Amino acid sequence: MDFFKSGLKTVLGAPEPGHQPSGAEIVERLVDRVNNSTLLEDRRDACRALKAMSRTYRVEVGAQGMDTLKQVLELDRADNETINYALDTLNNVMSPTQFEEEENNPRVPMNIGEQFTEMFIKDHHNIQLVLDLLDEYDFRVRLSTVQLLTSLLTNRPKDIQEIILVKPMGVSKMMDLLGDTREVIRNETLLLLIKLTKGNANIQKIVAFENAFDRLFEIVSTEGYSDGGIIVEDCLLLMLNLLKNNSSNINFFKEGSYIQKMLPMFNTPEETEEAGWSPQKVSNVHCMLLIVRTLVSPSNSAQIITSCQKIMKNVGLLDALCNILMSSGVPADILTETINTVGETVRGEVTNQEFLGNVMAPSNPPRPAIVVLLMSMVNEKQPFSLRCAVLYCFQCYLYHNEMSQAGLVQTLLPSSTDMSCLTSGQLLCGGLFSSDVLSNWFSAVALMHGLIENPVQKEQLLRVLLATNIGSSPVSLLHQCTLLLQQTTKLKSKVALLMLLSQWMSHCPAAVAAFLRAPGGVGWLVAQTCANEHDDNEVLLQGLCALLLAICLHFNDDSVENYSKESLRQLLTKRIGLEVFSSKLSEVSRHELYNKAAKHPQLRAKLPADVLIDYEFCRLFKVLESVLIQSLSGPQQNGASSPAPERGSPDSGTLEQYKTLIRQQDARLQELMAQLEGLLQQNQSLQGALNDSLSANSLLKDENTLLKAQVSAAKSVPSGVQVPTPSQDDVRVEYEAKLQTLAAEVARLSSELKTSQEGQKSMGEELEKMRKDQDDLLELLADQDTKLNDYKLRLLSLGQAVDDDTPAPAQPPT
Amino acid sequence: MAYAYLFKYIIIGDTGVGKSCLLLQFTDKRFQPVHDLTIGVEFGARMITIDGKQIKLQIWDTAGQEAFRSITRSYYRGAAGALLVYDITRRDTFNHLTTWLEDARQHSNSNMVIMLIGNKSDLESRREVKKEEGEAFAREHGLVFMETSAKTAANVEEAFINTAKEIYEKIQEGVFDINNEANGIKIGPQHSTAGGAAGAGGAGAGGAAGGGCC
Ligand SMILES: Nc1nc2c(ncn2[C@@H]2O[C@H](COP(=O)(O)OP(=O)(O)OP(=O)(O)O)[C@@H](O)[C@H]2O)c(=O)[nH]1
Ligand SMILES: [Mg+2]
Repeated sequence: MDFFKSGLKTVLGAPEPGHQPSGAEIVERLVDRVNNSTLLEDRRDACRALKAMSRTYRVEVGAQGMDTLKQVLELDRADNETINYALDTLNNVMSPTQFEEEENNPRVPMNIGEQFTEMFIKDHHNIQLVLDLLDEYDFRVRLSTVQLLTSLLTNRPKDIQEIILVKPMGVSKMMDLLGDTREVIRNETLLLLIKLTKGNANIQKIVAFENAFDRLFEIVSTEGYSDGGIIVEDCLLLMLNLLKNNSSNINFFKEGSYIQKMLPMFNTPEETEEAGWSPQKVSNVHCMLLIVRTLVSPSNSAQIITSCQKIMKNVGLLDALCNILMSSGVPADILTETINTVGETVRGEVTNQEFLGNVMAPSNPPRPAIVVLLMSMVNEKQPFSLRCAVLYCFQCYLYHNEMSQAGLVQTLLPSSTDMSCLTSGQLLCGGLFSSDVLSNWFSAVALMHGLIENPVQKEQLLRVLLATNIGSSPVSLLHQCTLLLQQTTKLKSKVALLMLLSQWMSHCPAAVAAFLRAPGGVGWLVAQTCANEHDDNEVLLQGLCALLLAICLHFNDDSVENYSKESLRQLLTKRIGLEVFSSKLSEVSRHELYNKAAKHPQLRAKLPADVLIDYEFCRLFKVLESVLIQSLSGPQQNGASSPAPERGSPDSGTLEQYKTLIRQQDARLQELMAQLEGLLQQNQSLQGALNDSLSANSLLKDENTLLKAQVSAAKSVPSGVQVPTPSQDDVRVEYEAKLQTLAAEVARLSSELKTSQEGQKSMGEELEKMRKDQDDLLELLADQDTKLNDYKLRLLSLGQAVDDDTPAPAQPPT
Repeated sequence: MAYAYLFKYIIIGDTGVGKSCLLLQFTDKRFQPVHDLTIGVEFGARMITIDGKQIKLQIWDTAGQEAFRSITRSYYRGAAGALLVYDITRRDTFNHLTTWLEDARQHSNSNMVIMLIGNKSDLESRREVKKEEGEAFAREHGLVFMETSAKTAANVEEAFINTAKEIYEKIQEGVFDINNEANGIKIGPQHSTAGGAAGAGGAGAGGAAGGGCC
């Protein structure tokens, strides 16, 4: 402080004797000086002094100096030094980070930088002023401008992005800086662009249009690709921003032959293996892998995925990735991410899957890479994330590929000749029955993926026999699974086996029959379904058992005497009851991990505890759920009419009953629709009110900050003066009073806001409920419709005339 | 695929005149009957041959709606060609051409080739703008002119290819500085007299990895 004050004497003139000026006072005088001095030197000196004070007295400088500094940017453009001081001062005032100088100052609010940013950008012209300064070639000015923009973007990304987007050449100007030959500027510009492009597709496209990929690949290649420094990582992070969820840019990337340009990144020369990977190299390669995955992510459109996959194969990128997979000394993180990347690069693309299937590991004896990977998956000692990655990669390898599915099952069939070498199938069977729960789960799910939408392999897998004890006859794989299901005490294993069996037996009557013949299976499922525990996982288990039972019923070809379709149905209705049954079934999709799994094909588990449900299983469940319920309630509607109605008594009474029901439901539907409409309107007006009070609130906040700053400035004045002049006191009191009213107002508004938010929320919930009810009703309606038609047909076939406007399909009487 | 040159195009004009349809017809040979409003911009690409040379066209289809005008302005600089499109069945889209042209001239580099396109020529019965009017406007402002139909594909190829020819000629005449990428032109990775197009893939930058493609 003393240092400041002595330094400031020259700027401010000698202080009055006996008067120690406070910081706020000094700031005030400096601001005055910038405003009123006619000499450029004076203004420059004052700006320099303001900059020096802007860390310790951020609030004061910001509150009193903001407008003045903006003027400097406009009027003193000719003097780079002054401009530079002004920029740095603004940057300090709006900095997102807390300065050392203010750590112990309770008067500085945490988000002070953000608050000042908010004030600064209220006038969009200010951003234009800053953007204009990018044209200045001077090193200091350009650097400070870039840094200031970065601070602004850090504080209010969405707002600044929208402002810059509508400024003529706003984005283009920043892109030009990437070509600056001064490395410091180029590097700072990279950081700026990363912030600028985050989550804004329009800006991302402009940046790509401005040749960003060319520039970035030039930098990456001159910096030495993966061996380059952090600047390479920054380039890659920017690329990642440009591509993430931006199909237009992905298309551009693909069409611009940039996939080829990624190749050198993955060419790891053999010699460096021993030297190990530097942390920076790990980060660089990791980013590059993420870029590859962004291009072929399952969430992209199928067309983009396929064409990117083809290019990756053709230019040798897949090959390079597989090389990393098979080379030694690769850090575990990179290996894991490479496995995921290879998976997505082959997923659903037959040529690439075949390529992966033929990759051989340099082991002794040489083994297929797939087998080596699966060995890791069923090996307890491997890192968890690696094992998950292998499962995903293997799933991708099987995805939509009947050949690789057949290849897997083939390795388990008795005919498969070479028993000496280890195969995928053997590894999975081993894993299925191992004592390690995760191995059980991974193996069951992997095996299940070999069966998806593949009726042939479902039947083939039935032929698989396992030798158990020497002397006893071999048991089929399906029997063994059923046995294990009943014996194991571990939830994960049970769930995994139930998922496998569900996939296996759905659409496969032969598998259903085999299961029904296995001892104890049905009984166990019924008992589990009836269980009454309420723990989330237990409820899930009950649901899965219900699902498998329903599959046994629906895909039943009546070939097992004791468990024909009809007898199973009776068993279920008697022992469990229709309603209980369907409510148990519906519990499956309520489980937290089910919803997590349903989102993305890749299992995104951080911990073994997150592993429970598989994505493809969720898809199966979604398709089957309603079908199964229908088949369960089947022909026994209301328990009244038996499946074959007695001839001669197709009473038109029933028909009339249904018609009435439908009319009633129709009316109810209309009513609900009207209610929905009303609620929607109500919601809208609430939203409007909310927005109004929000903006009023923000206005008040600004005013409040400004006043606080002014009050603190005013407060500190008397401390320096012996006798406070009454006028100052008055002002202070007045300010404080005003502040209090404002604070009260803010509080009132916030509570108002809260109430209206709550109101809105409950409205939303109600709306959601109505929607659901409506859906249910619609479904019911459709159901009734079908039934009605059935009855009509039946009536017709019995020779009854149906007095209805809807023409029934013509059916020749037999 | 290797190319001798790469040209960047933009397509501009009022909303609903058929910009996206023109692009789709050119890149995918398809027609899209419903108006799928473009938000911001969309990218498309295709290879063509001029004078025995492979030329890659990179095309940015912009949104015609007023709200996106400032985004569109970011694309003028850096484009070598522009297709300025109006709808022959809607006179207002023709009347707005002056505004579009002013915008384009103000923000683009002076050598940008502009092709004026009267689209929807298949809707003769609903025509509001005579072909002669389009020709006159083009003559007056020094543009190339063509009527097209994105629906029947009439003249669509020609519109894109003639624009490229115009740019190509300017290059031959030395009007364009082809080393300045801000002009929307790039020289291909290996600037040879376009060999077998099927074989070579794009070579890696930096020259080190020249060969290993396809
Ligand atoms: N008959 C006919 N209809 C066309 C033709 N070209 C486009 N259309 C129709 O015109 C409508 C608008 O076409 P778009 O290509 O989406 O229009 P746009 O210019 O891209 O519009 P914005 O994206 O809003 O700027 C669509 O319904 C098209 O089917 C044409 O040549 N003939
Ligand atoms: Mg469009």
